[in-house]
Amino acid sequence: MKKTAIDQLHELAAHLMEKGTLIAPIKEDAGFNFREISDAKNVDLTFHNTIISPKSAFFPQMEDFVRYQTGKNVPEAMPVELNLQPTFLFGVRPCDVKSFQIMDIHFSGTGAADPYWRKRREATTILGYAFDLDAPVQAEEFYRTLGIGAADPEGSDIFMIRKGEDLLLKSITPRGEKLLAQMSPLTEASADEEKYFEDYIIRGRDFKTRFTCVDDKTVAKKLENIFHNSDFWTKVSSACLSCGVCTFVCPNCYCFDICDETLFGRGTRRRVWDACMFTDFTLEASGHNPRTQVFQRLRQKVNHKYSYHVRKYGVISCVGCGRCTRHCPVNIDIYSIVEAALKV
Amino acid sequence: MSNINPYIPMPVEISRVIDEVDTHDIKTFRFTFLNKEDEANFKYLPGQFAELSIYGKGESPIGIASSPTEPGYVEFTVQRAGTIVPGLVTAALHDMNEGGKIGLRGPLGHSWPIEFLEKKNIVVVGGGFAFTTLRSLINYMLHKDNRKRFDEITVIYGARTPGLLLYKDELAEWEKRDDIKTVITVDKGDETWKGRQGFVPAVCKEVAPSPYNTVAVICGPPVMIKFTLPVFFELGFYKENILTSLEMRMKCGIGKCGRCNVGYKYVCSDGPVFSLAELDELPREF
Repeated sequence: MKKTAIDQLHELAAHLMEKGTLIAPIKEDAGFNFREISDAKNVDLTFHNTIISPKSAFFPQMEDFVRYQTGKNVPEAMPVELNLQPTFLFGVRPCDVKSFQIMDIHFSGTGAADPYWRKRREATTILGYAFDLDAPVQAEEFYRTLGIGAADPEGSDIFMIRKGEDLLLKSITPRGEKLLAQMSPLTEASADEEKYFEDYIIRGRDFKTRFTCVDDKTVAKKLENIFHNSDFWTKVSSACLSCGVCTFVCPNCYCFDICDETLFGRGTRRRVWDACMFTDFTLEASGHNPRTQVFQRLRQKVNHKYSYHVRKYGVISCVGCGRCTRHCPVNIDIYSIVEAALKV
Repeated sequence: MSNINPYIPMPVEISRVIDEVDTHDIKTFRFTFLNKEDEANFKYLPGQFAELSIYGKGESPIGIASSPTEPGYVEFTVQRAGTIVPGLVTAALHDMNEGGKIGLRGPLGHSWPIEFLEKKNIVVVGGGFAFTTLRSLINYMLHKDNRKRFDEITVIYGARTPGLLLYKDELAEWEKRDDIKTVITVDKGDETWKGRQGFVPAVCKEVAPSPYNTVAVICGPPVMIKFTLPVFFELGFYKENILTSLEMRMKCGIGKCGRCNVGYKYVCSDGPVFSLAELDELPREF
């Protein structure tokens, strides 16, 4: 195990930037977000969590597939090659790390593999970062409900915990071990610090974010059973504006559109994030639209995460990060919806 | 296959266009592959679909209308879509002629379950434009190498008017054959129509196929499906032996973009072919 002083963080960041691309939290006007770092001094670990989830490191909001020229033949269109440097995703909270594992099942674990997700995942080393257990619990969060501790290292290559003015780093995977051994700005941690690290992980499992006893199969079945209870779904969605912000900040929402954008005869085919909350999400060219009503779309979103995903992939597609609740302009809270559904 | 990017279309050239109906809004496009290796990789079975891809317009998921027993090309029957919003891809395609080049991604989805259909009687029921992958299936089963794998084949196909029947030449060929029973009907005939008149559900009742060792493969507009299914239930068909194919708005076609779900199934990658028993397990959302 290694350590560094928090005020020397920029040295660690600079070291990683020499090795490749560093993506880390920085402070912006609206709050914190993960960005590709150009100045090592900008890396800022004083955040609680970012506005947008770090999924964009593997599933960017826009991913270019092909560049084409209108009027030219299809064979002349050029696929956009991904030339990825080794990438370091730094400071990811445990619930968000868990979201990558859930997304892996969808994008590369079953059916056709998504080459973009897979390549970005393969190029990236994840440095997870425990929540601050001495900070107050955030009202929106409920990762404990989903069985995720505030300091769970699983899924990270290297896991980091803050201790006073120091940052402790421990390798979790062989990939992390290799990187940690090469990280020159670090010093060896003491045996006491190792013990602190291990104790912290255990303490993290008891960090009291909102908790409801949710067995994934039970909740999936329950949601199936109340699918046609439109009174319930109308009530919980009555305030919804269909703005889609919940899906954009979500670490587990993966729906995308494929669009052609042409300007002056040149164009790009790309995928962009889409949202099941939008009216035109399911609008067909014939004019038929199976989900015209707000309650149908919110029902789709909740069912997708807590029922369909369980049936299809055996896991709930939510990590309780609380972003959707935090950023919803009308205070719709998926935790409360699931809790209410279980009581119907 | 793993090195092939599933989002990048293969280039194909239109080698033939057939104007199918008297309203001129449904055409069959025959495509040949511009790269031989793409043709070799495009191994499909009846019931599968592909994304027709036109840069600057977009992509449309369309069922494959040709049969894999016809090598060298692949055919799609495409309706010019759009009542409220024009369908960009289908409109652009309809304006293209022989020699035009577009992109193709596929084959996608699951086929009609050929092994399940083997050694059984097959009743194919089609309505209107939804006959394309059924045509693929029929031509596949009728091929000399395949015909003996299936028992009796019955085709019941209806359209609103004689002019709206697809594949008229083939229908005439099938009617001449003695190894397939072909029943063609129209809702309303015209002065030249000498065939049967009547709605598909009523004709199914009249033909009354035996449910014994028989699978019904039914595709058509919702209203036809709605009235045809009770006929087959009454005849004694189990839901496991009634197959259909679903449509939904799609983008990726490979189960990634999250758009075409009905319950926990994606129509593109889990379907589009489902048995009625499978559909019964899904929420009746639509």
